[in-house]
Amino acid sequence: MKQPKYPLNAEQDLMIFKFVSEGTKGLIPKLIEFTETNLNGFYNLSLGDVDEKTGKINDKVVTNNNDTEKVLATVVGAVYAFTDKYPDAWVYATGSTESRTRLYRIGITKYLDEVKGDFNIFGEINDNWFPFEKGIKYEGFVVQRKITKFVP
Amino acid sequence: MTTIAELNKRKTPIVKIDKSLEKYKGKVLFPEKLAKANEVLKKIGLPKIEKK
Repeated sequence: MKQPKYPLNAEQDLMIFKFVSEGTKGLIPKLIEFTETNLNGFYNLSLGDVDEKTGKINDKVVTNNNDTEKVLATVVGAVYAFTDKYPDAWVYATGSTESRTRLYRIGITKYLDEVKGDFNIFGEINDNWFPFEKGIKYEGFVVQRKITKFVP
Repeated sequence: MTTIAELNKRKTPIVKIDKSLEKYKGKVLFPEKLAKANEVLKKIGLPKIEKK
């Protein structure tokens, strides 16, 4: 990853990561959580802001800290770290809003050439999975480290 | 000696273990997102792949 990233902290199981966004709105702590779903080995990735006064997490707030690319690169770094520890894991992500899903899509597109050698990447449209391609409006995304091969 | 710039270029970043984050373990911080992921799984399952 050639993009600048924020330093990442995590608890020892690498399920919860924290970093601090630095931008025009100041320092904003953010959490990345990998939560296991009802299916063993399938994890949901979420990203949200931490309100350090209340301790509450907000995944709907639009931070506008003018560091979107650095935040996305940091999230990609967390996915690498998580899947280094759990190489068979599937990681699902979708935005809490349509605009955030679009942001994820832009992020994957931006790093596609760098990460496609390391991950199988699929997009979700109308209740089907398709290998991720640039320019398609997916509703969600799932990735897995490349120890497997897609069967069309 | 590895420089900060070289470290920043690595795909897998260096992660510092932070014990203060243990307080979040076992909690679902984003329940709506998890519910959505479970719904997608229930409806369409996983992409089809074969082991190499």
